[in-house]
Amino acid sequence: MSAIVETGGGGGKGDGKVRGKKLSTNVDMTPMVDLGFLLITFFMLATTMSKPTSMTLNVPDKTEKQEETEPLKASKVLTLFLGKNDDVYYLDGVAADDPKAEESLKTTRFGSDLRSVIFNSATRINAANAKDEKGYGAFVCVIKPTVVSTYKNMVDVLDEMAITKSKKYALVDNLTDSEKKLLGDKVKP
Amino acid sequence: MAIVKPKKHPPHMDMTPMVDLAFLLLTFFIMTATFKTNDAEVTTPSSVSTIKVPDDKIMIISIDKEGKVFFGVDAQSTRISMLDNIAQSKGVTFTDLEKSKFSLQSSFGFPLNQLKAWLNTPDAQMAQIKQPGIPVDSTGTSELADWVYAARKADPGLRIALKGDNLAKFPVFKDVLGNLQSQNINRFNLITGSEQAPAGFKMD
Repeated sequence: MSAIVETGGGGGKGDGKVRGKKLSTNVDMTPMVDLGFLLITFFMLATTMSKPTSMTLNVPDKTEKQEETEPLKASKVLTLFLGKNDDVYYLDGVAADDPKAEESLKTTRFGSDLRSVIFNSATRINAANAKDEKGYGAFVCVIKPTVVSTYKNMVDVLDEMAITKSKKYALVDNLTDSEKKLLGDKVKP
Repeated sequence: MAIVKPKKHPPHMDMTPMVDLAFLLLTFFIMTATFKTNDAEVTTPSSVSTIKVPDDKIMIISIDKEGKVFFGVDAQSTRISMLDNIAQSKGVTFTDLEKSKFSLQSSFGFPLNQLKAWLNTPDAQMAQIKQPGIPVDSTGTSELADWVYAARKADPGLRIALKGDNLAKFPVFKDVLGNLQSQNINRFNLITGSEQAPAGFKMD
């Protein structure tokens, strides 16, 4: 394989003239090609191809004085509780201390199920209520990751917010007493 | 009658196009290579976000699947001045050798009192030692907060990125968040893998 191929070469014509022997200009490329492929293999294995992306997260300032705002009306809010084993419990337009809360607490899964829950709720609430002064719909999503949920759950929900273009959402990490009672064992570690 | 034998040629193939292609690929991979680092094993969740993570001037707080927290800064000079800052505020001294070894670590996960012992182990063993993670608690004034402060003091332009594992529990993330918020850091990046957005979705 790596033999140098000698082709041509002068002489043998017998026409009487003395010619210098022509040296072959063919260089054997095999070692170079071998090295080339070795390097390709190395770089292919050593490189990380998919560059990670990032999502920006802005959290409200803790030190800043909170302006007194009107409490959210439960009828405009979809509350998502992130439970264990990638379950999502949600209350659609119902407060946790409402007597109907027990029966309206539903369970869904991540992916298209959750997306359609958010879409349906957003469509219903935005249709029933007027837009606010900034031109956004009335729909607000409150995300409550519980202690049994994972980081992936939280990122997935934030991603759902981006996909469904829900502009108004809040990440709240403490449960109220009525929510604790409502969820019960579902959020026990 | 003599049998006419066709002249036998050795089979010959032109390798030039293949070689051309091979070197083209080689050039491509050399140009685009960013090497894998020996960071903590973190499998990030994916998102439809298309914003790329900045390459430089960045500090990365990683949370692995057991909830251990690791910290890393990209530039080596920043790593050294960060170590100087923390040594000053905590009343510890590091030798030049320890500093130069520290500057080679892309991330670390040791409480301050174990860091010195780790930096004094031989290079070959450093990677094998199990890192316990930087202590983080919910008060917002744990060692992670000190490191973040030291890093920002070393280079105020540092951006902050959080890289969490899929299986990391939410409370750890909440504690890390508390540590950042206690220093009035309210804007940061969550590093995620990229995924295909659902059909018909347009980013605005």
